[in-house]
Amino acid sequence: MGETPTSNFVLIIKHDTENIECQQRNITENSAIYSPSRFWACFLRCKMQRLGASKIVQIDFMPKEQVTYSKETQTPVASDQPEGKELFYLYLIINMDIQLNSGFTHETNLEEENAQEAEEGKKNHNQPRELTNEEKEQIIHSEDFLFFFDQSIRVMERVLAEDTDIFFDYSGRDMEDKEGDMQAGSNLSFNRHFYDEHWSKHRVVTSLDWSPQYPELLVASYNTNEDAPHEPDGVVLVWNMKYKKTTPEYIFHCQSSVMSVGFAQFHPNLVIGGTYSGQIALWDNRSHRRTPVQRTPLSATAHTHPVYCVNVVGTQNANNLITVSTDGKMCSWSLDMLSQPQESMELIYNKSKPVAVTCMAFPASDVNNYVVGSEEGTVYTASRHGSKAGIGEMFDGHQGPVTGISCHNAVGPVDFSHLFTTSSFDWTVKLWSTKHNKPLYSFEDNADYVYDVMWSPVHPALFATVDGNGRLDLWNLNNYTEVPSASVTVEGGCALNRVRWASGGREVAVGDSEGRVWIYDVGEQLAVSHTDDWSKFARTLMEIRANRGDGEEEGALELPA
Amino acid sequence: MAEVEETIKRIQSQKGVQGIIIVNAEGIPIKSTLDNSSTVQYAGNVHQLLLKARGMVRDIDPQNDLTFLRVRSKKNEIMIAPDKDYFLIVIQNPTE
Repeated sequence: MGETPTSNFVLIIKHDTENIECQQRNITENSAIYSPSRFWACFLRCKMQRLGASKIVQIDFMPKEQVTYSKETQTPVASDQPEGKELFYLYLIINMDIQLNSGFTHETNLEEENAQEAEEGKKNHNQPRELTNEEKEQIIHSEDFLFFFDQSIRVMERVLAEDTDIFFDYSGRDMEDKEGDMQAGSNLSFNRHFYDEHWSKHRVVTSLDWSPQYPELLVASYNTNEDAPHEPDGVVLVWNMKYKKTTPEYIFHCQSSVMSVGFAQFHPNLVIGGTYSGQIALWDNRSHRRTPVQRTPLSATAHTHPVYCVNVVGTQNANNLITVSTDGKMCSWSLDMLSQPQESMELIYNKSKPVAVTCMAFPASDVNNYVVGSEEGTVYTASRHGSKAGIGEMFDGHQGPVTGISCHNAVGPVDFSHLFTTSSFDWTVKLWSTKHNKPLYSFEDNADYVYDVMWSPVHPALFATVDGNGRLDLWNLNNYTEVPSASVTVEGGCALNRVRWASGGREVAVGDSEGRVWIYDVGEQLAVSHTDDWSKFARTLMEIRANRGDGEEEGALELPA
Repeated sequence: MAEVEETIKRIQSQKGVQGIIIVNAEGIPIKSTLDNSSTVQYAGNVHQLLLKARGMVRDIDPQNDLTFLRVRSKKNEIMIAPDKDYFLIVIQNPTE
């Protein structure tokens, strides 16, 4: 009915016995007497008793609590409802506030303050606070910043070096003459050179290697800079062929001159270097440190003489790092643990004296047998394991220290893996087979020390040589054996120390004695092999052998295969 | 380190480079080869642009993120390499 229940009260009325009946009759008319009919009925049923005064007890009965649920579902109520409530309360508070503080002035004050704050905030946003010099220095020296800087500068340099003009208008302007070699058909043309003013000046390029995973990356090692004694003695730079930027991708250095360097074949991030002190250093391009992440100890178990040869042989799962130093010690390492070699061996010929190894080469896909060249001018075969572990046969022919050795590694229908070439201080390059202990042929076109030789990775009859006159020669034995098929003298005429073919066989990298690395493109006719080149080379070999057989040399032996 | 200085000098000396600014995530310049007023102007504006660009890239594909920004104008090109905490701005005039 909508009426809220009110508390009931009981009133005890004093009566005379005589007046009861009268009162009884008057109960309906007299509304002033508030008493429940039930009570009255009880009273009537009881015997007439004498009434007396008693104490008034006031009892309050609370209204019965009605428990109701206003929610119809289990899901929570939409969020605007509480907000609405909040707003509602807020409104109330504000109102109260206003009322309490005789409000209009207060309200406007608040508004003004808010507006001011907002403006200030905006100003702050426009003018960032200045950092003090100390703060800036601190930031610049932090690890995070250096890492960011290294990465961004690398990307930025690549972008800056690209100088293509996307807006070039062919109709409105004159076509400038295209710079560069128009010798598209020439056999050997200059592509670019790599040189760093700071790191490669006054240093000799001691070794080069192309990356097996990224064909555009080339690593070059340099020895001491005599003019800068405070700079690190050994420098290794990784250059990138893909971009036009002229600075190295990665710069590594160590305390001793690096004599040989190579990418770890099965670990794309590692660069291995053999140094003058006999230590092997390992650099990782994932860390932004320039110093080696791992180094072998300088102990008698490892090398104590300069390491001129480092080579990773094996397969993805089972690979070893083979290093040989000039005291004839060969060590085999695991790249995970460079604290001690897995095995080491003294290369001794005929049980007399150790071989002073200057260069080493493994034939293609051979992990056990290899060939080494020595300071005395003799070449030896050697093997790592087996009954004949150690030095095997001796190959005599050169009259000066052997500077470079290369095994035939082009894969094709005919197997020439028994062939290798050597270069020496005696101005000649000789072609050998592991089956004969005398050279098959001697190439005598050079007029200075020949510093390095390398077979082409794709063409069976092609190899490159470099000498002290700055000459880079390409010999194609299917064309001529007397003279090189292509020859170029490097600008400046500095002695060239190293030559390396790129894995595709189309580019040749040459390192000189002034710290420059020159990249030459080899023309298609010369570099690319045809299917008949193999059979042609087999015939050439037979001719060479036949010619040699005519002039039978003393002591020539046919060696067991 | 002095290497940072050296590298900045080397880039500054390259063909057409007008200025290099390194700014932190709040838009405060840390290093610059330009005068103060230009630096502040560039830093502030590039910061805004970077936020918008990054927002746009992420809006279109939430898994994507901004890696490089190049603004080519009539007179020069502004190249911005952003990072989580800093960004590098290089202003270059490529036709020089």
